[in-house]
This record gives sequence, structure tokens and C-alpha cells, in this order.
Amino acid sequence: MLLSLLIFTPLLFALLVALAPEKWIRPMSFVLSALHFLLSCTLFYRFDPAKASLQLVERASWVPTFGISYFVGIDGISFWLVILSAFLTPLVVLGSWTAINQKVRSFHICLFLLLSAMVGTFLAMDAILFYVFFEASLIPMYFMIGVWGGPRRLYATMKFFIYTMAGSLFMLVAIIALIFMTQEQLGTMSASILDFYKLEIPFVAGSFLNTQTLLFFAFAVAFAIKVPMFPFHTWLPDAHVEAPTPGSVILAAVMLKMGTYGFMRFVLPIFPMASESWAWLFMLLGVIGIIYGALVAMVQPDIKKLVAYSSVSHMGYVMLGLFALNIYGATGGLYQMLNHGVSTGALFLLVGMIYERTHTRKISDYGGLAKAAPMFAIAFVIVTFSSIAVPLTNGFVGEFLILAGSFQANKTFAAFAVSGVVLGAVYMLWAVKRVFFGPESEMVKEHGHDDGLELGAREMFVLAPLVVLIFWMGVFPSDFLNWSKASLDNLIENRSHYELNVEE
Amino acid sequence: MQIEFSIIDFLLVAPAVALFIFSCVPLLIKVLRGNKEQNTFATLIYAYLGIVIAGGFAIFMAGTERTAFQGALVFDGISSFTTIIVLVITAVSLTFARDSYSSNDKQFSEAMFLTMNAAAGMLTVVWSNDLIITFVGIELFSLSLYVLIAMSLEEKLSKEAAFKYFILGSFASAIMLYGISFIYGTVGSTYLPDLLQATPNLLSTNRMFLLGFILLLAGVCFKVGIFPFHSWAPDVYQGSPTPLTGFMATGVKAVSLAFFLRLMASQAFTVERFWPFVDVMQWMAVLTILIGNVGAFRQKSLKRMLAYSSIAHSGYVLIGLIAAGIGGSSMLGAAGVMFYIFTYSLMTLGAFGALHLLEAHSDSDLTIEDLKGLASEKPWVALSLTIILVSLTGIPPTIGFFGKFFIFSAAIKQGLVWLAVWGVVGSVISVYYYLRPIVAMYMEEPILRRAAVEMRPLSYFAVAFTALLVLVFGLASEPFYQVVLSSVAKVF
Repeated sequence: MLLSLLIFTPLLFALLVALAPEKWIRPMSFVLSALHFLLSCTLFYRFDPAKASLQLVERASWVPTFGISYFVGIDGISFWLVILSAFLTPLVVLGSWTAINQKVRSFHICLFLLLSAMVGTFLAMDAILFYVFFEASLIPMYFMIGVWGGPRRLYATMKFFIYTMAGSLFMLVAIIALIFMTQEQLGTMSASILDFYKLEIPFVAGSFLNTQTLLFFAFAVAFAIKVPMFPFHTWLPDAHVEAPTPGSVILAAVMLKMGTYGFMRFVLPIFPMASESWAWLFMLLGVIGIIYGALVAMVQPDIKKLVAYSSVSHMGYVMLGLFALNIYGATGGLYQMLNHGVSTGALFLLVGMIYERTHTRKISDYGGLAKAAPMFAIAFVIVTFSSIAVPLTNGFVGEFLILAGSFQANKTFAAFAVSGVVLGAVYMLWAVKRVFFGPESEMVKEHGHDDGLELGAREMFVLAPLVVLIFWMGVFPSDFLNWSKASLDNLIENRSHYELNVEE
Repeated sequence: MQIEFSIIDFLLVAPAVALFIFSCVPLLIKVLRGNKEQNTFATLIYAYLGIVIAGGFAIFMAGTERTAFQGALVFDGISSFTTIIVLVITAVSLTFARDSYSSNDKQFSEAMFLTMNAAAGMLTVVWSNDLIITFVGIELFSLSLYVLIAMSLEEKLSKEAAFKYFILGSFASAIMLYGISFIYGTVGSTYLPDLLQATPNLLSTNRMFLLGFILLLAGVCFKVGIFPFHSWAPDVYQGSPTPLTGFMATGVKAVSLAFFLRLMASQAFTVERFWPFVDVMQWMAVLTILIGNVGAFRQKSLKRMLAYSSIAHSGYVLIGLIAAGIGGSSMLGAAGVMFYIFTYSLMTLGAFGALHLLEAHSDSDLTIEDLKGLASEKPWVALSLTIILVSLTGIPPTIGFFGKFFIFSAAIKQGLVWLAVWGVVGSVISVYYYLRPIVAMYMEEPILRRAAVEMRPLSYFAVAFTALLVLVFGLASEPFYQVVLSSVAKVF
């Protein structure tokens, strides 16, 4: 029951918000989303981290003619992503308190629909159900960017939608092909991912036109667009820059993870041989993404665009880690997914907070902000440290594990990836220097009097949990990794004959 | 020769008879009252009565699996399923039509008479088990439609559209009849089961038969709007009054596709040596999808856009038809086609209905510009249209997704992966133009002066209900799919 509740209560919340009086909408949706987060916290009691199996499973038949069922379950891979989605939503509601000031009701309805679709994507264990949530999550985000976004929002939202949709439709063809394969090999038609794991999909090494490779790429491209991996990343800067702050936060923190999650859930275990023989390609593209993202971020005049390109770079690390195909890489990849959620989410929130006051995101307009807004500066610098992987912050743990894993797999790629760490520090610290230090700019002087640029209590309350998490995840990574360890071990060790048992 | 009809035969055709009888009532009243139009609402009530009685008979006789009138008509799963679809389409279209006639014109009884008789013609096509009967049915609904399109008094476009449709439609009918004559010459019968039995032998050995079969299919392709017989659709759709466009786009297609499906039940396509023939059909499907979607891309007029999109949807159905043909006893293709016919009718009817709700007068041709900022003025119409457009795109959890899913599954099952891939490419292109109206409605500033449109509560309700059904059938597609599966089970 718990997982279905997590998926469907947001729909009920959306309905409640739709009917609520105008004045109550913001407080109400904060309380409701906080309740949803508390509900998700009960997972800490119900989920057993010692087992690698699929837990809290619920199953009901949906379209039995094609073996499609409503099948949800949770394991160590999806565990933190669900918590992350639920954790960020109340913060986003609070963070958008003053930023979203028109069509407030519709905005919160979109937010809850999105929450439902995101949690559903991570919990679905049936490929078609997954596809339904995966696609359904596009629609609220499409509206979020298109209605509340910046000046070029229409272009950005169309691009976002068409890109993602293009990838996932080919995945649909691949899913249908797999469903028919289950009928041939297992006797009954099934769209369950667990049955997909049991398939023996014909593979010919070195050639492209064989079943496993084609299906592998159909899935991989869909997820690579979502991640987004170089060269499919071009929708991301547009979408991020034009999206309203809460949209950017959710997009970066959760929706990009749907792609990397898809790699862990579908691509690696269902197509073990194809992913092994094509791992070099994805590691290569990951490394290119790391360096390219960092270099492009370095020259951005717009701070939000800088953060957006830093996402490309960070997601490159995740891909590198996953395709290192060893336990360090996979663990680091998963950890970096969470880190990126926390730190990039926090960065977008911070950028949004200052933008609300100054209505400019150009780095050259700022300067000497540290004096005018010390708390803001402290928060920004802490998050920056996390983003550039300074020891004691969460970013360090993730990047260290990924680099360790990729050194084992391929030293050349690892060497280039390490240079990305330096580049990351360069563009972030350079931006911090230009924004916060040096002489106060005209703009800062103009807005800076009477603490005009300083954070308010609400904003500190939004940032506090993120800052705590940054250090907590940096100092005690095992508090987090222990929940996923069994599942990750199972994923890596039994990759060629992956099986996921169901804990009834 | 003794010809005997049992009472059951008359019961079976009762739906068409009921439609005809009730279509005459308002016309008679009008004549008796000295050519004065009676209340349009009363006329609509007569139409509803006729449709409900017809539906009652259709449901009562459903599942009987029998033929009537010496085998000239057949009543099987496909018949009863499509009958219900046609009746619903007629009822909804008349509802829309009444709302636009109530405001501007006085000829609703005539319009209703013609629409109901067109529906009777459609039912004839659906039930037909003989090519001649099919032809009669096609002519009955086509002639009614030619007059209906031309009927609105003030529109220039509608005259053009009617004339175009008439010329091209007559041409297509003639070609079809020509094909039927070749078939009769070679098979010695126009009886459909005879034809289907003869097809596997004659298709490869007899040039005459092949020519006849191709000409017959060309006629059907014209009605459905499949490449290269599609080019009439945008002009005709744009010129016709919107409620009628909805009726044409859904009713005509539904019955023509059902007839097409009956032709594909032949075993001829399961044999490998006929695959050149199937190859041509595959290319037609691909080109129909591409032309429909690419054509819709550049359209400003929403009706033209929907016309091209309906061409594209014919292409998707053709994929299913091919899968049904080469699949033989595998019913996935046929079931996919039937499911898609329903899906397509529901979505297209809703889309045209929503446009109709926004039109100030019957000759307005809405463009995307006209939709700007609609969400704040008419939130429910905007929401309904959004749901319908999302479903046309094929995004879950709407019925449009499952329609495409079943079609693509059938294609992949038969090894036609490349057709499914083309279908997917088409869907990706379609995302752009289906989302553009949504962008205009929700994300752009309202236009300053929008022509006032009077309330049309019945149409309003019908559109909202369609949108709801699009969602409900999307989430609960299985029971419905089972009905469809059992409806095609006897034929394939």
C-alpha cells in the first residue's frame, strides 16, 4: 500500500489544491508536500537495506493481453531517488513562495502532478507502467517551463518536449519487442522488468545490427537524451535557463536522474553484453561531457546558464561511473546522482533568490556581493564547494568513487576525467570571485542598502536542510550508501545474469 | 427463383430503417407547416429517438453472428462494433450541428435528414457482405455528404469544398465500380466470401483480377485518405462546416476502414509470394504517415491541420491493416485496427467539437492565432482540447497511447519493425503541431478582441465528456480491448 500511496497521494493533493481558496494555496501545498515527505520517510522503517531484493511489492493486472500490470516495488537503487523527489518538493514550494506570483493554483497543481509522475517512474517495475510515468512527467514540466518561464520559454519548452519524446518513442518500440520476446522465451507475455532480466537476447560482438545491440541503443538513446549526455544535451541549457526556479530545481535534481536511473534499471542489467562492449563509447561521451560542459560553463556570462552547463559536466561523471561497470563506479554514480540533486538544486534555488531581487543573472552586473549579503555568500560558497567536490562535502565522495572506479576500468578516460575536476573548480570559483568579491558593482550598490539583497528567514529555512545534507553526505557517506549497497553489489556482481527477487 | 426473407432479417436491418423513419419526421412536419422550420431542439430529439432505437436494435441483435437477405448482409462482431461507433458519432455530430444551426440558419431538418441517411448508408457499408451492396452504401453516404457540405448558404469555401469532394468522390466511386466489374468478371460473383476465397489463387495468376482488386482498394483508400489519394482532404475539411467535418472525418473513415479490414481477412496476404503487393501497401503507409505529419506541420488553419493529422492517422491504421493481412489468424492486427478506429473517432470528434465551440459563425476558419490565451477565458474548453491533443499525440495515459501501442505491437509481432519505427518517427513530428495549439492556449498572451460566441451547453458537455472518455478508456483499456478482440475473432 505504501508505494501506491506515495505515487497517488500527490494526485489527491493536486485536487485539493485545485479546490482550495486562493489565499491558502501556498501554505496548503507546503503542508501537503511536507506530509508526503514524511510519508516517504516511513520507507526508512519499512525498507530492509540488507536485502538486494525488490521490496514492498504491489501487483495488479492492468492489460493482461499484453502482460502489462500495475507493478511497483522498491530496491536500493530507487530508494534514495524516491526520497530525494519527496524531499525536494516542499523545499521547492517554499522556495517559489514569492517567485511564482501568477497562476499560483495551476502552478501547484503542476507540481503535484509532476511529483506523482516522478515517484511513479522510480517505483514502476513494469516497463509499460514506467513508460507511462516517464512520459506523463513531461507534461507538467512542459507547462511549468512554458507558462512560468523566461522570455524564450516557448522555444525552450518545445525543444525539451520534442527531444525527450523522440528518444522515448524509440524506447517504446524496444519495449514492445521485449514483450514479444518474453512470450517466445518464457511462455507468457509479460512487460515486467523482472521478466526482461531473464531474457537471453541474441548478441553478436563487434557488429551493430544484432538484436541486443539495437535494443540496447533504443533504450540508451532515450535515457541519454534525458540525462542528458553529450551530444544530446542541447535541450538542457535552454530548458534550464528559461524554466522558473522551481522548474529548474526539479528538472536538474530529479528529472535528469530518470535518465541515469533508466541506465541502472534497464540498460545495464537487461543488455549486459551490449553494455559491456559499448561501455567505451559511453565512457568516452561521459568524459567529453565532463570537459565540454566545464569549458562551456567557463565562458557563460549568465550565471544560470553556467549552472546548467555544470549539470552537463556533472552528469558526465555519473555516466562515466555507471559504465565503468564496477562497484566503485556504480556506487559513485548513484551517489553523484544524489549529490547533483542536492547541490545543483541548491544552486538553482540560490540563483533564483538573487534574481528575484535584482532581476539580472549576468555575472558582470554583480561584484562585491559578499559584503552586501553575507549569509547569501556563505550559502553560495558552501554549495559551490559541494559542486566542485571539496573534501568533507558530498561531491568529493561521489567524484572520488567514480574516478576510482574509472581508473580500474580505463586509465585514459580517468585521466581526462580528473582534469574535469580542475576545470570544474575553475569555472565555479571564478564565477564566485566575480559575483561576490571585488568592488561593489553599481547594481549591488543600488539594491544593497538595508540588507536588500540578504536572505530572508524563509529562504534560510529552505537552504538549511540542503547545507546540512551537503556536510552529512560528505562526512558520513555510509549513512546513505548502506541503504543501497546490497542492491548495487547485486547489480554489479551478477550483471551478466542479473536477477531481482521479489520480497513478498 | 423464390426469394424469402425471414422476420429476423428485418430485425437485423432495423437500425438503418429506424434512422430513416425518424429522419423523415421533422421534414414531414416542416412540409405540413408550410415550410416553416420547427424548433431545432425538437428536431434533435427526433434524431436522438431514432438513434437510440437503432442502438437498441443493434445491441439487441449483437453477437448473433448471422447473415441476412441471402447472405448479402453480414452481422458479426465487426458489424455490431462499428454500428455502435457510427451511431454515437451521428448523435454527437448532430448535437454539434444543431448548435450551429440554431444560431444561423433555418435548414436544420434537411441537415438532420441528410446526416441520418448518411449514417444509414454507413451502416449499410458496415454490414455489407457483397461488393454491390457496399457500393450502394458508399454512394448513399457520399451523396448525402455532398449535399450537406454545399448546404450552408453563405459560405464560398463550402461550395468549393463540396464541388471538389463531389468531382473527386465520383471519380473514386467510378474507379471502385470499375474494379468491382473486373472482379465480377474474373470471380463470377460479387459476394465477399467468394472473393476472399478466390483471392489467394487469382491475385498472382490473373492480371484482370489483380487490376480489379487494386482499383477496389484505390477507391477505399480515397475515402480514407491514404497516400496517393489523400489530397482532397485538407480542402474539403477546411471548407465544410465544422460539425460536419467531424462527422465526415470520423464516420466515413470508420466504416471505410472496417470494410478495408474485411478485405484484409483474405488468406492471400499470408502467403509469401504476394509480398510485392504488401510491399506497396507498406510504402503507402509510410508515405501517408510522413505526408500527413509533415503537411500538418506548416498549417495555420486548425481544420487543415486536423485534416492532415487525420491523413497521418489513416497511415497508422494502414500499418495495423497490413499486420492484420499478413498475420492471418493472429488477431492482434485486426484488433488493433478496430481499437484504433474507435480511438481515432473519439479523439477527432472531440477535436472538431472543441473547434466548433470556439467558432463565432459557421464560416469562420480558426487559426492557431485565434487560440491565444484561451485558457484564461474558457478554461474547460482549453483543458478538454488539451487532453484530446495530448491523446492525438499518443502520450500516456490517454487512449491515443494505447491505440498506437496496439497497432505498433501488432506490426512488431509480424516482424514489421521498420513500419513501427516509421510510425514512431511520424509521432515525433506530430508532437510539434499538436502542442502548438496548447502553447497558444496556455502560454501566450490573449488576443485583444475575440468574437463573442454564444453558450452551446449540449456541445460543451459533449466535448468535455469526450475528453473524459479519452482519459478513462486510456486507464482502463483492457476491458475494451477484450471486446474488440472478441469482435474480430470470428472474422479472422
